[in-house]
Amino acid sequence: MSSTIQPEIILRDLSELWVSLAKESEPGQSSGVLRACAMTLVTAVDESEDATSVWSTVAALMPEHPSRAIVIRFRQSPARELSARVFSQCWMPFGQRRQICCEQIEMTVSDASLPDLPAVIVPLAVSDLPVILWCRGSRLFSLPEFPELLKAANKVVLDAALFPDPVVPLRQLAEQSCQGRVFGDLAWTRLTRWRELVSQIFENRSYLAQLPGIERVRIGFGGDVKPASGYYLAAWLLDCLETASAKAQVEWVSGMNARIGDLARVELVGAGDDGLRASIAVAGDGERHCAEVRVGSLSNRTMFPPDNDYVLLREELSIPGPDPVYARTLARASRLAVAETR
Amino acid sequence: MIDDRPCRDILKDMLLENPFQDPLRFERRIPECAVVIFGANGDLTKRKLLPALYRLAYERRLSPGFAVLGISRTAMTDDQFRERMCSSVAKYLEDSPFDKQVWSGFAQSLYYMAGNVSDPTTFTALANRLKDIEEQRQTGGNVLFYLSTQPSQYAEAAKGIGEAGLAKGSGWRRIVVEKPFGHDLASAKALSDKLHEVFRESEVYRIDHYLGKETVQNILAFRFGNGIFEPLWNRRYVNSVQITAAESIGVEGRGSYYQEAGALRDMIQNHLLQIMATIAMEPSATFQPDAVRDERAKLLRSIRVLKSSEVLENSVSGQYGPARIGGTDVPGFRQEDGVDPQSQTDTYAAATFFVDNWRWAGVPFYIRTGKRLPKRVTEIAIQFNAAPHAVFGDNGDGTTPNLLILRIQPEEGISLRFLSKRPGAGMKLRPVSMDFNYGSSFGERSPTAYETLLLDVMIGDATLYTRQDMVEASWAVVEPIMQAWGDRKFDFPNYAAGTWGPKAADDMLARRGHAWRKP
Repeated sequence: MSSTIQPEIILRDLSELWVSLAKESEPGQSSGVLRACAMTLVTAVDESEDATSVWSTVAALMPEHPSRAIVIRFRQSPARELSARVFSQCWMPFGQRRQICCEQIEMTVSDASLPDLPAVIVPLAVSDLPVILWCRGSRLFSLPEFPELLKAANKVVLDAALFPDPVVPLRQLAEQSCQGRVFGDLAWTRLTRWRELVSQIFENRSYLAQLPGIERVRIGFGGDVKPASGYYLAAWLLDCLETASAKAQVEWVSGMNARIGDLARVELVGAGDDGLRASIAVAGDGERHCAEVRVGSLSNRTMFPPDNDYVLLREELSIPGPDPVYARTLARASRLAVAETR
Repeated sequence: MIDDRPCRDILKDMLLENPFQDPLRFERRIPECAVVIFGANGDLTKRKLLPALYRLAYERRLSPGFAVLGISRTAMTDDQFRERMCSSVAKYLEDSPFDKQVWSGFAQSLYYMAGNVSDPTTFTALANRLKDIEEQRQTGGNVLFYLSTQPSQYAEAAKGIGEAGLAKGSGWRRIVVEKPFGHDLASAKALSDKLHEVFRESEVYRIDHYLGKETVQNILAFRFGNGIFEPLWNRRYVNSVQITAAESIGVEGRGSYYQEAGALRDMIQNHLLQIMATIAMEPSATFQPDAVRDERAKLLRSIRVLKSSEVLENSVSGQYGPARIGGTDVPGFRQEDGVDPQSQTDTYAAATFFVDNWRWAGVPFYIRTGKRLPKRVTEIAIQFNAAPHAVFGDNGDGTTPNLLILRIQPEEGISLRFLSKRPGAGMKLRPVSMDFNYGSSFGERSPTAYETLLLDVMIGDATLYTRQDMVEASWAVVEPIMQAWGDRKFDFPNYAAGTWGPKAADDMLARRGHAWRKP
């Protein structure tokens, strides 16, 4: 494996790739391929992770978020090693005559070469378009030089659920977020479907009028350790309830019938016997989850969409800039997590 | 229902906002409501309305407190209606899977009653049924009435709703009417008057499905979200605008209806003038429904109304004759079922319009639409003025003007044609096209126009709906043409099926030094 990557060579390879794609197009077509690009998507993964699965997620994202995709595979090695290859992904949309193609670059980099990486990424990023860094796994985020790589990105996406102790990423994200860096956390993205259902309950004005009377928020989860998504949900609910002049306390229910770290139930409880009681409980196998929404004696069931990397990332990539609701919730979730562990 | 709480408490409730909203991430959702469809056994309900509502359920946009009550003359039980709708939805769903689990949940919200709009007891029964459904489904007292009936029944249906006391209640009330909104200016005004006896104008939603199309909405994003095009969007840089809505099919069994309507009424008076208004309107200060509609209405009122002496020079009527296309014999319009063999109905209409305002003075807007044209295509072409001086002489195609094409169907997208140097020695230019394909660039499924418009009406967003003043302004524009054509006997058919329309349409543009594009 070589020890250097020259961005100019990669850019030249990309340019040649486009020429060859155009030449491959069928004779008679005025222009064979259509180049689409809305961002540079950099994915940082451990080399031990299955590259095929990473690329298939990236590939699935391309039709909706056409990007120059760079996958950096990190090897745990003390030697300075960097290598890269360039290829493209094309697809022929149904009923169309022209292929759509996106550029893909795969790099293999040793941990020791991390300091060399920003100087490679910056020139490879597509001009004037956002750079999103998706950091898979907790190990990479903990590498001492990793913050330098973060600087090359407009937004960094990670998954706090992958960290053994959820307090660590929440605290780090909150600290760095205060410095103006934009983050996305898939542990928060997973909550969108929960939050939508909560919001939908209070579209009803009579329930909305009872909101100031809510005094308890009960969150149930699988396993014994409160998950990052639980802290996020608690922080978001408390924030929203305060806006409606409610002063509520959070109660945690561990060991519920759910995968370890997954949320199983959330309940908002009003004061007194006739206070509002609204709950959302989720049950199901790995792929399909059914949510039961109960308000007083009324109940309704709905399917939860799957929460795989593709679905979650698809949502995050559609928000390349700051997300004020997340930023506010992150700050509170971090305070909540730190306070609970004292 | 009387709310006897102190005014202060009622006001406090009205001012409360849902603190859980997160517009950046949450999709727009429909509040609890009941949708009453008159004409529930008709084609529109089966092909468009129910598939769109099902799709909204699939996307989790519907509230748990949602119900549909279908009404038509055919006797049916709720379950029979559900079964019938199930097969229609599975058949007519566009780019979308049919999920049995989602359907079984959605089907529970479907109800049916037999009734006739001309019979007052229908509305008494409707009131009782709605009350039951509201209790069962917790629809919050909100009701949307959808008139998917013959246009002649609109006034009667509105009257029945009003007399049964259904136009007012504890929640909101809205009514959707499908085009045609009258058959001329007077009848459009009369229809509005009838609707206004029962509903306020803000409660009347006149649907024009063209405005619900993703690309028509994208025109607004393209014009007002980008800084580079708007400075060019005026008489100084734009030479002419062409709007084409071509269909390759004939009247497809709708001969008797079409015979009464014709291309000018069926397409130009509503869809195409609305598109023209979207292309040419001034930017609104906000994206609030009435702010956008005010600008559209202003533009429609600025279109120069042709004097009777100007009509024949600036408009062309056509009717297709028989032809052989791709080895198949295709009948002419007069040979279609239900069509008078001497019919004078226009299956092709083209017109030149001018907008009398500061921005567009002197720029011709050419609009054409027709049946049995060579292909199905709807697009807007904005032709810019050529470069003021031909620096490169006559080497190649150096005089071709820039063209911006906004494609609405079938391939939604935007193309910009500009000149580029041909590779090789010398300075020869050729036009090249830079394309943005809406569907494939994003790969995401676009909602159908009915999904968009139904969602909008239930949310109370009227931006894409047509207001009374807009309808009247567009009738005022086409009425002189209708009158002039009505006074004349045309020598029809004047174009063969499968061609781009009558020669007179080419002559109309040639008089101003232009030519129709071949999309």
